[in-house]
Amino acid sequence: MTDRRVVVTGIGAVSPLGSDPATLFQRLMNAESAVRAVSFEANGSYSNVAATVDYDLQTALQGRTPARLENLDRITQMAIVAARQAMAGSGAIVDDKSRHRMGVSFGTGMGSAAALEDTHQQIFARDPERVRPLTVLKVMNNSSAGHIAMQFGLAGPDLTYSCACASSAVAIGEAYRQIRHGYADVMLAGGGEASLTYSCFRSWDAMRVLAPMDAETPSATCRPFAKNRKGLVLGEGAAMVVLEERDHALRRGATIHAELAGYGSSNDHTHITRPSVEGQARAMELALADRKTPHCAIGYVNAHGTGTPMNDPTETLALKQVFGTDAFRIPVSSTKSMHGHLLGGAGALEFVISVLALTHRAIPPTANLDSADPACDLDYVPLHGREGIDLQSVLSNSFAFGGTNAVLLVSRA
Amino acid sequence: MPNTSEMLQTILTEKFSVPEDRIRREAKLTDLGLDSLDLIEVLFEVEDTFHIRVPQDSAAIKLATIDELLATITQLVDAAPARREAEAG
Repeated sequence: MTDRRVVVTGIGAVSPLGSDPATLFQRLMNAESAVRAVSFEANGSYSNVAATVDYDLQTALQGRTPARLENLDRITQMAIVAARQAMAGSGAIVDDKSRHRMGVSFGTGMGSAAALEDTHQQIFARDPERVRPLTVLKVMNNSSAGHIAMQFGLAGPDLTYSCACASSAVAIGEAYRQIRHGYADVMLAGGGEASLTYSCFRSWDAMRVLAPMDAETPSATCRPFAKNRKGLVLGEGAAMVVLEERDHALRRGATIHAELAGYGSSNDHTHITRPSVEGQARAMELALADRKTPHCAIGYVNAHGTGTPMNDPTETLALKQVFGTDAFRIPVSSTKSMHGHLLGGAGALEFVISVLALTHRAIPPTANLDSADPACDLDYVPLHGREGIDLQSVLSNSFAFGGTNAVLLVSRA
Repeated sequence: MPNTSEMLQTILTEKFSVPEDRIRREAKLTDLGLDSLDLIEVLFEVEDTFHIRVPQDSAAIKLATIDELLATITQLVDAAPARREAEAG
């Protein structure tokens, strides 16, 4: 088979920093943070901090009957909106000739968290006789992928990946392989997370990995690579991209944003949460080796950068292991400082940001990084973004509980 | 207070966006643009609205006309107090 290359022809995002990619990127470059206090009045005024999506999904999805809209969990609603943006931008044509070669690849950690929580409330606290009849279809983890395929009439592979915080990076990487290996010509790929529910917050709290709210400036709670970082901040959202075989895109005169030029996947295999330098480095090396991208081509790394005590120095060491002294040259930033940690949706959102960095020739900053941890001694683009940067290739890192590491490499087309 | 027919019409128009002029007494539920999953939800809403339980074996109801569904609802509503008394007894 000829060498099938994969390009990005459409991008979409519903994020805490805006419900379209252009707004998102502009606000990132302004170092704006969407992190804020949230509270649950129904649950004893419990409060926490998170980056929430403030967007009227009901209006965006009008045209469905109220009953059918109610059967889409928040994650599916956000995913459909992001997918629509990506498809509209791509202009990919779906017809009876093409639809069998077009598929969906979706990643999520927790799936329909709100619907699941509500169902449990209904069964255990309200009335188990009155569970809504289509609960199974709303809660199942492939609900989003199924509805996206229906929305556009895509009849190719329809896949859902769940690998915690690497889910949607894996979904994009595996979609890339579907195209590269000849199973599809176009894949609508990405993922999302909508798990800002009371029970999810409580579960994360119990693990002691969430940063306590910065009392003075809640928006500055997430501080990746900083000396005073205290943990991660949850976010929500969805991001989707249209991946397309390069010649297929060229033939129809599509706008090509970038080339997806590498995917690396590995597992730490030693501990369910503790990250490993070796595992992370191997995923980066595999992404670089995938299409033989030279290390010197990498001009920016969108870090996993969660802001937990463990992640940031480990990722720093992994970058040094891969790039050697060159690691000090490469700008590395964690945009999670501004949009929070989208968990299963993080990889897709950060892939979209990486594509935008290439096309805008700009590197978004790590916000709230006043003073770096001595163990984090790379160039983390503190506080201010950089413009007019001639980027050739960008790495996007996603590392997960369960040990899954997924790295995407995107290059100028 | 709205009658049974008006209450059913409200469910169909407001939750399932069925155009009012299509809701005629002789129309079959399946002719209202509702698919099989919608029909399961219609029955759920009917149960909630009228405080009744439509028997699990509801295949026949899904093929029914509006008129036949209304008759079933009336029958179940009428039977409900008797059942409650029986349960209490």
